[in-house]
Amino acid sequence: MSSSILVEAKGVTKVYTTGKVEAHALRGVDIEFRVGDFAAIVGPSGSGKTTFLNLVGALDVATDGELRVLGNDISRMTKRQRADLRLNSIGFVFQAYNLVPVLTAQENVEFVLELQGAGEQRSNRAKEVLAQLGLDAYSSRRPNELSGGQQQRVAVARAVAANPKLVLADEPTANLDGENSDILLKMMRDLNEAQGITFIFSTHDPRVVTYARRVVTLVDGRIDNDVTKNSATSSAE
Amino acid sequence: MRISVSTKYAFHSLRRHARKTILSVIGIGLGCGLCLFMIGLVKGESRMMLKAAAESGNGHLRIVPAEWVQIRQNDLRLDNWRSILQELRSNEQIKRAAPHARKEGLLAFGTRTIGVEVIGVDPTVEQAMNRLVRDLAEGYYLMEGTRGTVVVGREIAQRLNVELDDELLITVADSSGEMSSAMLRIVGIAETGSEELDASICHITISDMVELTALNGAAELTAVVKEPRKLGRTAKALSAALPGDCAVLTWKEIMPELASGVKVDETWTRLTVGIVMIVVLLGIASAQLTAVLERRREFAVLSALGMRKARLIKIMLMEGLVLGVIGGTVGLVIGIPPTYLLATRGIDFSRFYGGSGISVSNILIDSVFQGDFGWWLFPLAFILSLTATILSSLYPAWYASRTDPAVALRVEH
Ligand SMILES: Nc1ncnc2c1ncn2[C@@H]1O[C@H](COP(=O)(O)OP(=O)(O)O)[C@@H](O)[C@H]1O
Ligand SMILES: [Mg+2]
Repeated sequence: MSSSILVEAKGVTKVYTTGKVEAHALRGVDIEFRVGDFAAIVGPSGSGKTTFLNLVGALDVATDGELRVLGNDISRMTKRQRADLRLNSIGFVFQAYNLVPVLTAQENVEFVLELQGAGEQRSNRAKEVLAQLGLDAYSSRRPNELSGGQQQRVAVARAVAANPKLVLADEPTANLDGENSDILLKMMRDLNEAQGITFIFSTHDPRVVTYARRVVTLVDGRIDNDVTKNSATSSAE
Repeated sequence: MRISVSTKYAFHSLRRHARKTILSVIGIGLGCGLCLFMIGLVKGESRMMLKAAAESGNGHLRIVPAEWVQIRQNDLRLDNWRSILQELRSNEQIKRAAPHARKEGLLAFGTRTIGVEVIGVDPTVEQAMNRLVRDLAEGYYLMEGTRGTVVVGREIAQRLNVELDDELLITVADSSGEMSSAMLRIVGIAETGSEELDASICHITISDMVELTALNGAAELTAVVKEPRKLGRTAKALSAALPGDCAVLTWKEIMPELASGVKVDETWTRLTVGIVMIVVLLGIASAQLTAVLERRREFAVLSALGMRKARLIKIMLMEGLVLGVIGGTVGLVIGIPPTYLLATRGIDFSRFYGGSGISVSNILIDSVFQGDFGWWLFPLAFILSLTATILSSLYPAWYASRTDPAVALRVEH
């Protein structure tokens, strides 16, 4: 069913030009992601994982090839249209947490809802999502008063608060210890299963890969392997 | 109403960069305070000059024969001056009005002579209008109904070597060009402290003037208004109400050199205020820009989350707005005390002039200089401060809005 296709890439390439040096980050990627996917993108450092997520997240445009995200041809969109697509349909979780340091956990989540134009209910919605991620007690803390694991959970809350179709996470556990990585991945899986939010995340960590239902391997800007597991769960406990 | 997260974000960002914010606020406050003080100074100066000019017998307004505007001849007279004077005095904007008749003449005592501009006055109102002859050093002022009397300045008395009750011979050319003379008894000697002025005062009654010159009536009517700020409107209204053979001039037209002097000072002050505010503006702009560079990743994240450029610019300008309100308040705190002191106590310049009066083009100026202080300080403080902070936030805001959202995913190792 083609309507369930969220992301569709055909021959996507990305070349970064810094001065006279060209870096071929992606060399022709063909792939599809469907609604409900919980996919890990793995591969050595420099293989193009971040670049790929940047393109899918409409943060950047491909040098060549066709990329459709939620039915939109990314290369044909204006900056502002891409901003609106990100705001309304895509959630982001970053490796370095990247919460707004001067705002509390609650305000960080509310901020996105406010940008979306949510009215009075945004405060309740933020509370609800924070509670879902086990952060009820921390909602009035600033990022520097939270542990790394807690900050990253706030980041997930921020990413899903506005009910996006797609959440992208670039090495979300890279700065976390094993225990916190497990907690985070479980929560992401729960959100995926309970609410049908599609997750695509990149990772280095073999523990994290075990949570994925689909594992896409990138090597040198090309897809080397794309495996979908049959069993629903296989956690590394 | 609930405070939006954007607003909180702006406030908290200012608080997080507390040192930058405090330094910026002090900068704006000092600049603003200095500007308020300077503006108080020049406003006070204009007011003082105008007051001094008006009270030195020149008035704010002068009604002259229409022809006078072109030929500026002292022989011209207002035929219907009494009815115009009536009209003036019934106008509620006019505080006082007095007639004058001027004529160049020669004063002589024994072998000594001195050329002066003799002014015929109405003794009943002149002293109230003219601070030069308000308190005489010797004798008393002219009196209604007394004939053949004169009040002269101290310098004239000294040059002619005369005293009270001495009789001066005055000679003028009358209306037909014939020499006409009279003997005048000195009843009062005026002393303003300014040699220049004391060498020019020579008052006689209008009736003596008429007799001496055979020119009838007054040459001009001088008026002091209640509200100098509404001068333009009052002049216009009068000029519409008065007959066509007379013209209404304001002090700017009567004393153009004084008006341009005040204008020059005002222009200088404006220029200085402008320069001070530009320096402040650049200072804040550079602080804001530094803060923006530090917050690059933050802006990239917000942009990645879908914040539009316009929104980010709005938030940055809001930071400028908050900075401006605080800066303006600090500007008032810094600027009010000296401006208030200058306005209430003033600076006494008599020391520098060895106790003598200060005069500029036949105007006696108060020796105590007083600045202006009023409600204008409050809006002005915020206008200056907000203009500076909002303008200085524009470039950093625009710069911030251009942050590439892809920076958010990139990790600096
Ligand atoms: N902004 C950029 N400018 C230049 N080269 C870049 C940029 N971003 C990534 N690259 C290059 O593209 C390649 C892929 O990088 P990246 O997508 O970050 O890989 P990964 O996330 O898998 O480590 C690398 O060779 C990297 O040096
Ligand atoms: Mg990467």
